[in-house]
Amino acid sequence: MSMPDIDLVQMTVIANRLDGIVREMENTLLRSGRSAVLNMARDFSCSIITADHRLLATAEGLPVHVIGGERLGAAVAEFHDDISEGDAFLHNDPYLGNTHAADHTILVPVFYEGEHIFTALAKAHQADIGNSQPTTYMPFAKDIYEEGALIFPAVRVQRDRRDIDDIIRMCKRRIRVPEQWYGDYLAMIGAARIGESALKEVCKRHGKDTVKAFIEQWFDYSERKMAHAIGKLSAGTVTGHGMADPLEPVMPDGIPIQVTITVDPGEQRITLDLRDNIDCLEAGLNESETCSRNNVMTGLLNSLDADIPRNSGSFRRIDILLREGCVVGIPTFPHSTSVATTNLGERLVTITQKTFADHWGGMGLAEGACSVGTGFSVISGMDERHVPARPYVNQVFLGSQGGPGGPEVDGWLTYGNAVTNGLMFRDSIEIDEQKYPIRIEELRIRTDSEGAGRRRGAPGTVLRFGPKTGTMQAFYANDGVVYPPRGAQGGGDAAPQEPFLLDPLGQEHPVPAVGGVTMSVGETLGHRLSGGGGYGSPYEREPESVRLDVLARFVSPERARDVYGVIFTGTTLDDSLQVDDVATRELRQRHQASGVG
Amino acid sequence: MLTISVDTGGTFTDVAVADESGQLQIAKALTSRDRAYDAIAEALDAIARRMSTSRGALLEQAARFNYGTTRSTNAVVEGKASRTAFFTTKGFPDVLLLREGGKPDPFRQIPYGQPYVPRHLTFEIDERMDAEGTVFRPLDEASVITAIRSAQEQEVEAVGVCLLWSIANSAHELRVGQLMEEHAPDLAFTLSHQLNPVVREYRRASATVIDASLKPLMQQFIRGLEQDLRGEGFMGNLFISTSYGGSWSPQDVAERPVYSIGSGPSMAPVSAVHEANRDLEGGAAEFDLLVADTGGTTFDIGIVRSGQIEFTNETWLGGRWIGNITGTRAVDVKSIGAGGGSIAWIDSGGLLKVGPQSAGSSPGPACYGRGGSLPTVTDAALLLGYLDSSNFMEGSLHLDRDAAERAFAPLSEALGMTLLQMAHATLTIACDNIAASSREATVARGIDPREVVIVAGGGGSGMSIGRIAEELGTRGVLIPQTAGAMSACGALFADVIHEFTCVAYVETAAFDSRAANAALAQVSESADRFLSGLSPGLAIETEVQFAAEARYRQQAWELTVPLPDAALSDGDVALIEETFHDTHERMFGVREPNQTLEILSWTARATARLRHPSRSVPDAERQPVLEPLRVQDSSFDGVHLVPVPVYWGPSMPVGHSLLGPAIVHEPTTTIVLYPGHTITVMPSGNYYMETPHEHA
Repeated sequence: MSMPDIDLVQMTVIANRLDGIVREMENTLLRSGRSAVLNMARDFSCSIITADHRLLATAEGLPVHVIGGERLGAAVAEFHDDISEGDAFLHNDPYLGNTHAADHTILVPVFYEGEHIFTALAKAHQADIGNSQPTTYMPFAKDIYEEGALIFPAVRVQRDRRDIDDIIRMCKRRIRVPEQWYGDYLAMIGAARIGESALKEVCKRHGKDTVKAFIEQWFDYSERKMAHAIGKLSAGTVTGHGMADPLEPVMPDGIPIQVTITVDPGEQRITLDLRDNIDCLEAGLNESETCSRNNVMTGLLNSLDADIPRNSGSFRRIDILLREGCVVGIPTFPHSTSVATTNLGERLVTITQKTFADHWGGMGLAEGACSVGTGFSVISGMDERHVPARPYVNQVFLGSQGGPGGPEVDGWLTYGNAVTNGLMFRDSIEIDEQKYPIRIEELRIRTDSEGAGRRRGAPGTVLRFGPKTGTMQAFYANDGVVYPPRGAQGGGDAAPQEPFLLDPLGQEHPVPAVGGVTMSVGETLGHRLSGGGGYGSPYEREPESVRLDVLARFVSPERARDVYGVIFTGTTLDDSLQVDDVATRELRQRHQASGVG
Repeated sequence: MLTISVDTGGTFTDVAVADESGQLQIAKALTSRDRAYDAIAEALDAIARRMSTSRGALLEQAARFNYGTTRSTNAVVEGKASRTAFFTTKGFPDVLLLREGGKPDPFRQIPYGQPYVPRHLTFEIDERMDAEGTVFRPLDEASVITAIRSAQEQEVEAVGVCLLWSIANSAHELRVGQLMEEHAPDLAFTLSHQLNPVVREYRRASATVIDASLKPLMQQFIRGLEQDLRGEGFMGNLFISTSYGGSWSPQDVAERPVYSIGSGPSMAPVSAVHEANRDLEGGAAEFDLLVADTGGTTFDIGIVRSGQIEFTNETWLGGRWIGNITGTRAVDVKSIGAGGGSIAWIDSGGLLKVGPQSAGSSPGPACYGRGGSLPTVTDAALLLGYLDSSNFMEGSLHLDRDAAERAFAPLSEALGMTLLQMAHATLTIACDNIAASSREATVARGIDPREVVIVAGGGGSGMSIGRIAEELGTRGVLIPQTAGAMSACGALFADVIHEFTCVAYVETAAFDSRAANAALAQVSESADRFLSGLSPGLAIETEVQFAAEARYRQQAWELTVPLPDAALSDGDVALIEETFHDTHERMFGVREPNQTLEILSWTARATARLRHPSRSVPDAERQPVLEPLRVQDSSFDGVHLVPVPVYWGPSMPVGHSLLGPAIVHEPTTTIVLYPGHTITVMPSGNYYMETPHEHA
């Protein structure tokens, strides 16, 4: 069959429409989703893949989610030779292309004139997946059995648009808050079905053959854009190194990670090699194959032109080399990948973008804050405001930690973490206090936590909260306590994560970096959250920008002098504060002459 | 008696005058930056000349003068409002900075943006209320005095006070207000629980500080306007447009100026409802309307469902997630960067893009000959033979075809397309951008864009609305004769609308009807008090409607559910739940039949219907025989030029239909009728255009 040739106008029209469909799906999922990890942290995504499993449209979705949709679609085809209109499949198997077991993915095949043309995907991190403990993050799990999640390797969950109740019953029996899970399941089904009907409309509007021709030409266009971007870079091979925080007792000294980047502008290709890393661990930290790919890709995409479409076409120019049995590679069954999307995943992102930043001037980013730590705890207890008291458990998103500086722009303040890249929402203090018997005592910018730089990282915050009645448990997993986000191109490191407990007398006590704490009334759990790393020498930052940072309480006057080389004429932090130009110039010249920094 | 309405926009001031015979006159003048009244006077003079009278006589005869302005919007966006301090609960100085999270694109490195009030003008008040309305930490009045003194030392002109949970117990905020009056009687201030009692501290605080910052400015502005009008003999009622799509007395706006933000665009849907009532069978109530208002740099989209204008709680100035939220409820108008001035360009992969960069009105499109050299949508329309100088800006602007060709030449060369192909491609992409945003706006509201009627306004809408409708799959487009001044005309038909909200958390699983009814009684009483406070004889009828903000248990975002009554019985719970299930299913495609609701707040909307001017159709000019003015070469495929008849709209007989291709000139717009589309002159003088799409 010959493909009709479509012009660039029609190509734009269809491409815009597909992104629009993905956004319609996302809006449905976000607004109707039930768990906080979905509707606040936005830990979900929607995408469209082709019938032959190539990633086609992702809109502004997170690559930690959407890259790898290809392999989920392939798994469905592998196990089912009777895929039909009206089907939906549930897939969360990390050995068959999923990110980690906590991300449930719904795949809906889209048929037009009897032919399978697209598959619509909706994926969301669940509040609970029936693990052996009441959390979806299990860094200590030795293997997938100790995790204990229900695993669905591309299982049919709807036929003729109706639930296959056997599967739903299994989930409702095993998953801890079955009603919440089912609400999120419905939200995912709703999103995928909205995508399905919109995609059929596209086929009807433009005709099947035109749509098929579009797919090939769109991939070619995307590949051209990526090739063009790579062609402008300088050639070279560099290995970037980094460390993830220790995990007692498995890796008491921390976990080394390295990424080798080869840029070949002649061939217009980039290779990312992760093979030279340690073997899989007896812990939940291992990357799934999909997370190994998509996190190192995020670091790359953070370094390139944001206008390049993110799909299988542009990805043809990227080679990712992985090794079987590697901690950041292809995990061997039954190694656990419980926390594959954060922790080591985030380190892959940040090491990759920092390596680009350090070795390819004008691109890349410093390192941003990592982990969903104490400021994003899963809290639980009894709410005694109701009679009888009512149990509560949910994740709060109260903290705010800093994003990395880049070549042009300071770090994004409400960054979330390296894999959510700023998309994460924050809880309202009042909404959380209304929902749970807790009081938030303080949330303010953490002065001097930013990685200094010509473009500084964003500062973190100081947060304290505790129970108003009864006792409260909080579970969390900090990363960046020992190895905070690093600067790039001479930029400074950010302050590390500092979780703590404040007793009723105002005395501070240490708490574990990873684990849980139980508190009673009067005690508060505190967290000084990490900032993002800086980019470029802080001595090159415009003094006026430093003045604004001081007025904003991001940077103290002392740090402005010692780290940025900026001196002010006064001490009062109001409009009267002015840069002492002469003293500043002198200090900066002295600094330059001494060759420090 | 006359009704006069004015809409002061960034570029143009539109004035509409309705007389007793049902005639409506509109005129435009360039907005005068220093004194808004200068432009108003100029446009009024133009109308007065047409009506063979004087400006003073028009004002003397006016029973009502309705004024809408972008002044407050611009002051906020441009950072020109008054120097303002923010008083916040101790421990939370960064509420305005941290916002609610979110970012437009994860991979684009963009500046985070500044808080509306800088940190050094933010003061922590030592106090704390709890969610249950109990005092956790009593108010330390010394901390208030210190804050007031420091704010004065830093020469602020206004103070926004937003303390945590003031909506559950307002005692601390009220006391801060008293101390303000005592110690700083010259400072304007706003208390959050009085202005905008909603849960979510960022939204409430943002509304509060924006409101406070506008008070000195808007109070002075309104006083000046009133003096100008009274000085010229105006003796009627002055009203100011609000973001509710209604009007308030000048005193109400001066007390709550944040509600004047976005008041101009909010009137376009009001106008659409009015025109739909005149022309569509069964009126606006029988249809869902997509209201399109085209300007030089933006295309504004509003939605009207079954006659009800859709509202939003999320209006951002300076960009969603990067600017400042107004935090108040407002008519939902989405603005996208796609106007007549949007620029065509080629991206690094070789694709043609249009906008969001715009040549605006200055320098404007290349064909304006005012220094613009980049190819725009208007240039494309000129090259395609849709526009001509005789009917552009009332003939005052010569359109330079050579300049348009020169502007498109580089693109044409790069893509190997003829100029005509380039122009056609540019218009196609521009229309697709608009269609994509329109589709998202309707689908997000659970409305199928194929089933709406588009109501198109704005001077530039006529040249592309047919293609946009075709792209959306929409059949019907209503183009008012007054399309060129849609917001000003909407204000002629606006009512007085005010909303009152009370926060009271109630779950339907164990429905506390006493708490719910207490909240409803409070808002009901406020609404009644507001209505009875209006000048006697002003309203021809009044109405109070009730609604709640509700969500399924554990959801994060609420939907608005209408309530049957202000006094709920246990039996009403099932009805509220059912209404919510329906709304949820319409918006998100799914319902959860056995799920219960969390209700966060209760609202009463008070409406006082004003006397609207009647409308008639002048038919003196209408010819029994329809003769085209001339024939013009135009292209609809970017390849062929075909002869197309050009008609003078005001002379077309009522009930007459044309089959495209054709071009219709109206005094304030040019309507392009694409091949296969039809257009009919309605009894009102408006136009009803139909694309070849079947109704879905």
